[in-house]
Amino acid sequence: MSLSNSSKSQMPFWPALLALAASVLGLSFALSSTVDYTRHLDRQVHDLHCSFIPGLAGEAGQEGACRAAMYSPYSALFKDKYWGGIPIALPAVGAFAFFAAFALYLLLSRDKAPRRAHQFLFLTGLTPLLVSGVMFFISLTKLGQFCKTCVGIYSASVLLAIAAVFSLIFDMKRGRTALEQFRSPTKKDSASTLKAAGDLEKSENKTPEKAGEEEKEGSPKVAPTLPEGEVPATVVTKDAEPDYVPPRTGGPLLIPSWLIALAVFSFVPALLYVSAMPNYATYVNGCGKLEKPEDPKKSLLYITPAGAKQQATLVVDPLCPTCKAFHQRLVTEGIFDQLDTTVVLFPLDNECNWMLDRPLHPGACVVAKAMMCNERRPLDVLEWAYEKQDEIAETAKGSGGVAAVRNMIRGRFAGLDKCIDSNETKQRLDRVLRWTIANQLAVSTPQLFLDGTRLCEEDSDIGLSYSIYKLAPNLRRP
Amino acid sequence: MKAAALIGIAAGCVALAASALTVQGQVRAAGERLKTGATLEKPKVAVANDAEAAYCTPAFKQVLARVIHACGLVGGDSRRGCQPADVKTLASINDEDFNALFHPLKERGAVIMFDDGQDKLDEEAKRIIADRWQDRKGARYFFIVARASKTGGADFNRTLSHKRANSVLFLISDQFKADDPNIDKEAGLLWLGSEFAQLGKEYCDWNVSRPGKCTPEAINRSAFISWVDCQL
Repeated sequence: MSLSNSSKSQMPFWPALLALAASVLGLSFALSSTVDYTRHLDRQVHDLHCSFIPGLAGEAGQEGACRAAMYSPYSALFKDKYWGGIPIALPAVGAFAFFAAFALYLLLSRDKAPRRAHQFLFLTGLTPLLVSGVMFFISLTKLGQFCKTCVGIYSASVLLAIAAVFSLIFDMKRGRTALEQFRSPTKKDSASTLKAAGDLEKSENKTPEKAGEEEKEGSPKVAPTLPEGEVPATVVTKDAEPDYVPPRTGGPLLIPSWLIALAVFSFVPALLYVSAMPNYATYVNGCGKLEKPEDPKKSLLYITPAGAKQQATLVVDPLCPTCKAFHQRLVTEGIFDQLDTTVVLFPLDNECNWMLDRPLHPGACVVAKAMMCNERRPLDVLEWAYEKQDEIAETAKGSGGVAAVRNMIRGRFAGLDKCIDSNETKQRLDRVLRWTIANQLAVSTPQLFLDGTRLCEEDSDIGLSYSIYKLAPNLRRP
Repeated sequence: MKAAALIGIAAGCVALAASALTVQGQVRAAGERLKTGATLEKPKVAVANDAEAAYCTPAFKQVLARVIHACGLVGGDSRRGCQPADVKTLASINDEDFNALFHPLKERGAVIMFDDGQDKLDEEAKRIIADRWQDRKGARYFFIVARASKTGGADFNRTLSHKRANSVLFLISDQFKADDPNIDKEAGLLWLGSEFAQLGKEYCDWNVSRPGKCTPEAINRSAFISWVDCQL
């Protein structure tokens, strides 16, 4: 083995070792992420192992970024086809397992590994970095936060890429060394052992221009040359002990074979995952229906985008963070614009909502009234409230209280004061709240009904796409 | 070199098999939990309901329940009406306590005053009735408790009390039936004759329709109206 022969080794061991360590690290993070994801396939909410140490439970309250990443549409593939989709980390599990094995092989082979092995590692070892780069960009621009497990995978990808680059650099270096050894006059005698003398002549013939250039420069005698990237093969005579063994290139089928193996490693876990998934079809429409959806006095709000094709009833509180996240998910997945939405305002604020004994979201009543008063464009107020949610919540809890929230609304939507204070608006909001009683809704937001059938709360995160397309097959898939 | 390749292949297969089977095992376990319902206990979520104010004491709710059942507000298809004699039985409490039950509704309700021997509503009365009716919030039942003073005979007073209660109900029906077809199931009438305890002068401090003309006798030529924020 090469490791016992390190003094003569052309290839330092550390790139392979680094690749091995990076792959094991990546495998650990990817597996931890996948297992966390998989546990949620029971439609319940579980703790996440959101930590820089793979598999270790994160600190309480620190898992927000991991949960946000998990609930985002980018966390899995084929989400509309399978409940929860196939977690994006799952192919990474197989890929990192492959890279770990390949790195181990390189570590053990050292100089004996064919040059194509290092070229392959360079070629494919950068792909996790590319994927990580894309996910990093999404985290930065779409999610606005980075989950620790994801950062772990990004780090492993970076380390693997470094290892791959240096593996190629050192391999090229040993290739050049081999070429120099071959060209060196002092070694020319030993070149008599070369089996590929004929090949060398061929290669000389293939490069007449270069030879001509060298003659012009006044170098009458030059060593035979090989095309870049190739090294002469040698046959060592039985009784000779060569002090230099040039690296082997390897057969042309090696790289395609390894690519196939990498693909198999990446897809096998996904295939096993899909084969073991339970059938969710019976669960998604078992969460009730609207008993009395009629709204004779048009107290509810109606939002109908141009491409709306599916009736939906959305129960929301404009200051509820979960509603905001849910709304963003519907928008991001291209679903919201396809919904002919009836908005049922359900502010979790006892200023107007008698079903609460304290304000969960102070100021929600006045924002809800502002939505009603901006009837032509209620979505503008809702999206503004979602955008400024933290600021509104802070303002409402501050010394200015709800009056300060009124000022915020006034600053953004002028001319609504009279309507907000009117008895008509108050009574309308009362009617909306009584509509929820008539329909026996849970005191909870958000709630989505598609053609009167409720989207289960359990299906509103990772199972959202699957469940929505099951309940509303006419919706256009992204 | 061959040994290294074999070790690499073996290590790769082991890593792949272990990872894939771990994940597959987790998927199967999740599927089993889903099937058997062996999941974390979900917190109970309240269902949207009528308001439940602090004054909804058990005694108040008991009276309320008996009255609304007797008045046909629930459980029946047609209004049966509440005879004063029924109320005495239904309430199972003395007159003073019965009046006291409504004290928490001082701010929520109003006292509609009538002329002596009359059941006609004046403009201020109509305004107050409409205002109180529309201030429903989360209440389910609207009570109209009509009275008559001791002047005149018992039968006359009872009839007059009944007419006053109806005056209020008819006004509400005329104005709001189109918006709310369930008025018959929401408004409960009580017409109390002179045999019931009279209201004292202190009731003039309530939201009355004729604040400048409130006397101990006038306050009893009235109908008390209020939404009741109690779940039943």
